[in-house]
Amino acid sequence: MSAGDGMTTTRRGDALAAARYLAPAALVLVGLLGYPMYQLVLISFYDYGQEQASAGAPLTFIGFDNYQRLFSEPQFWGVLGQTVAFAAACVAGTLLVGGALAVLASRVRAVPRTLLFLAALGAWATPAVAGSTVWLFLFDADLGLVNEVLVGLGIHDMAGYSWTYDKLVAFALVAGEVIWCSFPFVMVTLYAGIRAIPAEVLEAATLDGASTWRATRSVVLPLLRPLIAVATIQSIIWDFKLFTQIYVMTGGGGVAGQNLVLNVYAYQQAFAASDYGLGSAIGVVMTVVLLVVTLFYLRALRRRGEELA
Amino acid sequence: MRVGRGLVGAVAAVLGAAVAVGCAPVQSKPVGGAANSPDHATGTLRVWLFDEANRAPKEAVVREAAAEFESAHPGVRVDVQYVQVDSRAERFKAAFNDPRSAPDVAEFGNTDLAGYVAAGGFADLGADLASWTEARDLTPSVLDTARVDGKTYATPWYVGVRALYYRTDVFEELGLRPPRSAAELVETARRIRERRPDLYGISVGGKYTYAMLPFLWSAGGDLARRDGANWVSTVDQEPARAGISRYAELLRDDVCPPAQCAQMTGSSSVQAFAAGKAAMTVGGDFNRKAVDAGVAAGKYAVVPLPGEREGSVAPAFAGGNLLGVLRGTERRTLAVAFTKLLAGKKYQRKMFEAMGNLPTFTDLQREVAEGQPFQRPFVDTLAAGTRFVPATPAWAKIDAQAVLPTAVQEIATGAKTAPEATRAAAERMNAAFRS
Amino acid sequence: MRWLRRPGRAAAEVLTVVIAGVVAFPLYWMVLTALKPEGEVLSANPRPWTLAPTWDNFHRVLTVSGFGRFFLNSVVVALVVVALSLVLSFLAAVALTRFRFRGRTVLLVMLLVAQMVPVEALTIPLFFVMRIVGETAPVFGVNHLGSLVLVHLAFSLPFAVWMLRGFVAAVPVELEEAAALDGASRFRFTWQVLFPIVAPGLVASSVLSFIHAWNDFLFAKTFVTVEESQTLPLAILVFFKPDQNDWGAIMAGSTLMTIPVLVFFVLVQRRLVSGLAGAVKG
Repeated sequence: MSAGDGMTTTRRGDALAAARYLAPAALVLVGLLGYPMYQLVLISFYDYGQEQASAGAPLTFIGFDNYQRLFSEPQFWGVLGQTVAFAAACVAGTLLVGGALAVLASRVRAVPRTLLFLAALGAWATPAVAGSTVWLFLFDADLGLVNEVLVGLGIHDMAGYSWTYDKLVAFALVAGEVIWCSFPFVMVTLYAGIRAIPAEVLEAATLDGASTWRATRSVVLPLLRPLIAVATIQSIIWDFKLFTQIYVMTGGGGVAGQNLVLNVYAYQQAFAASDYGLGSAIGVVMTVVLLVVTLFYLRALRRRGEELA
Repeated sequence: MRVGRGLVGAVAAVLGAAVAVGCAPVQSKPVGGAANSPDHATGTLRVWLFDEANRAPKEAVVREAAAEFESAHPGVRVDVQYVQVDSRAERFKAAFNDPRSAPDVAEFGNTDLAGYVAAGGFADLGADLASWTEARDLTPSVLDTARVDGKTYATPWYVGVRALYYRTDVFEELGLRPPRSAAELVETARRIRERRPDLYGISVGGKYTYAMLPFLWSAGGDLARRDGANWVSTVDQEPARAGISRYAELLRDDVCPPAQCAQMTGSSSVQAFAAGKAAMTVGGDFNRKAVDAGVAAGKYAVVPLPGEREGSVAPAFAGGNLLGVLRGTERRTLAVAFTKLLAGKKYQRKMFEAMGNLPTFTDLQREVAEGQPFQRPFVDTLAAGTRFVPATPAWAKIDAQAVLPTAVQEIATGAKTAPEATRAAAERMNAAFRS
Repeated sequence: MRWLRRPGRAAAEVLTVVIAGVVAFPLYWMVLTALKPEGEVLSANPRPWTLAPTWDNFHRVLTVSGFGRFFLNSVVVALVVVALSLVLSFLAAVALTRFRFRGRTVLLVMLLVAQMVPVEALTIPLFFVMRIVGETAPVFGVNHLGSLVLVHLAFSLPFAVWMLRGFVAAVPVELEEAAALDGASRFRFTWQVLFPIVAPGLVASSVLSFIHAWNDFLFAKTFVTVEESQTLPLAILVFFKPDQNDWGAIMAGSTLMTIPVLVFFVLVQRRLVSGLAGAVKG
């Protein structure tokens, strides 16, 4: 083996070795995700409810009927639009807060950092139902601490102010809770990334006389880009599929359904009544939308010269 | 690495199965009906009951019933599993998809019945109830909640109804009397808020459908009517619309402002009353503990919710739980016998003493009201006749889609007029009935 | 980290503590709610303290029958999932980063797609898969803890692979080439050099796998109906009622559920980041 012939260049042995390394994960993924996903697509072409699942009724192939039902529903398009906008806001907020706090954490000593990490971890680890409910308690119109404090500060208009009545205010409140419980992931990830940067690289940068900000921007950021990309993609995927926060905090979609997002919509229209055919169709549509968004993002990365996938 | 090898084997089995199943969605193997299932007279009888936060008293009664049953049926063991109410949907689906892990007897909510029957989950008990003498005393409107398409699939185990809670101190201070008609209720609520702006006249919510339904029914309306094999929504017809509008009148700034109340559910309405924020609310016998824990404790009374006519009682929604026998059971005779025992008068009385669950037998209801004055208004409400939601699996969908809350919220917030909102609701209901 | 300027540090540390306080406030409220007597949980005069703290709510949760069993089950499932997912995803990440072969990009995108499908839509097909699995390997079938391990493993792998890929990719290729020159086999290089270097990345992905497995309600209630295999979230589900949720107990239960995650994190953080990564760098 010559020195230039490193492990990253294509060799015949690579495919075989890769197969060996991938096999255990692939086995689990194909069986437990691949096959159910294939079933999901199949079910979306059938009239498939609980009766069909438990074999109480015969299967009927109905082609694209489930999709047609979905697309002809004006509410679906509205919900799709606001899901995209809401998820985008949550992703942006999560990355901003998580990234800023990761940098901050890398600049302070162990005690304040540990405090921040424990608080963040607590927010991350709290079961979603409990987290959403606590936020709801705090922001309750009549019985919440936030309004009480605001009134105490002299803002008397806030007495009995409902944070979930106006559509945008309600979305903002839910976004606040979502960012609260999802920024820790971004923070922990990016902080780990910063820690993984070899000390020599950073020292070299500071020896060159670069300011902290410049060092951060010109040395740390490029090295973190792959991680930021992963965090972004993951956040997009998670925030697009939000369910519990909206369901709990807006009481199942807000006044007259104004705060519905796709996953809650899918639950209301399909899963609650065991209409798995329609539910699977919504699932397929959601996956396709997410895939398109993600592929655009990956392509944008590649244009900037960053090979991610 | 035994686990590792097992893992590989398991996943390989999945792949094999995937190939074998081929190109149609998966289904369970057909469930055996009564005709081809065995009917063993011994063995283990599996029973699913709902778990409770404080299960001990319920468990004690059930254990007593199981012991009585086991001694009367030698060679039979009663195995009771407790299922969390919040996980029931997944549990019952799993039971229907995998009969081997299914119970023989199960407790479930009466609003879930139509869906379970459509899924082919429960056995027809009509003949068994007809030959059971105690069944004659079951309150007819409560027994109706165990019926789908004229067939009875379960026996009612306990019932829950809602009535009007009001603050005796506020009523005394303002010189008011409990309202005797729906119109007077609205008027009273307005007067309270006028003189005590810190209180809601009555706390009810846009999402509190079970508080709205009595208004709809007592105005002479209904949710839907049977039209041959189909259901047709009637919420956009005059009496129903008038009832919904009457309820929406409560969700106004001069009673219960929509900004706060449009989104309230049953439990948040009761919570506001318990916290001392409201002079009245609609609550069930099961809400008593929550109210007694709040500042309203000791300062409230309960009367039946008044109807349209002066002095009448508005028909209440008959909530409650049923006991049914699963269709795939291999011990049908035993399962029916145990259901009759646990849902019979003897154990319903014990369950009332243990858990406060209202019995489903008319004579027993009267008996418990004698001893417990708190139960009086609820038993009177039962006696005045209760109603139920359409017995069709489509109701689960209409409920999940929040069709009626949406209509009430639209009227309350002024987004739509009552005719527009109820017409839209009727259309969505009809779409659900058709699908 | 010596590359940081000192003067700003005091200010940064104060800011960090303030932010930690804000982030922790809802958690404080959760614990407080759990300690409040029932009538105070939601009252017209919310106070950030309680004068009559009570263990009633915790008592109700801890006396849910089978609580200890549920707790143990949860610990077993979460730890096994984390361990398996670390090993499997690390191997896959190495293969997807260090080896060139056709279809690599497709595989990577497939891993993303696997996470995009709404989980609710997959439960029915998954249920049937688990039933078939149970026929050949009963330990992994419905109603056994193995079924939960399998599904959580499947759902945490795609993310873990992506995550670790980023860390593996960040390791300079020169290091690998140097190792190859030294005559280290690829296998030895992978485990003895690469694995410790990506340790910080293992923290994030293992915490995430742990939290997912630990907090899951959906699979726990779908795949396990018998009491002996149930996990902790189901002990809390008891307090959700259609007519009246018991918020005090739900908050107490959620508090009890959050603590083990913090413990796990502190352990992982100390062992992996400070230990392994420090050793390599030092």
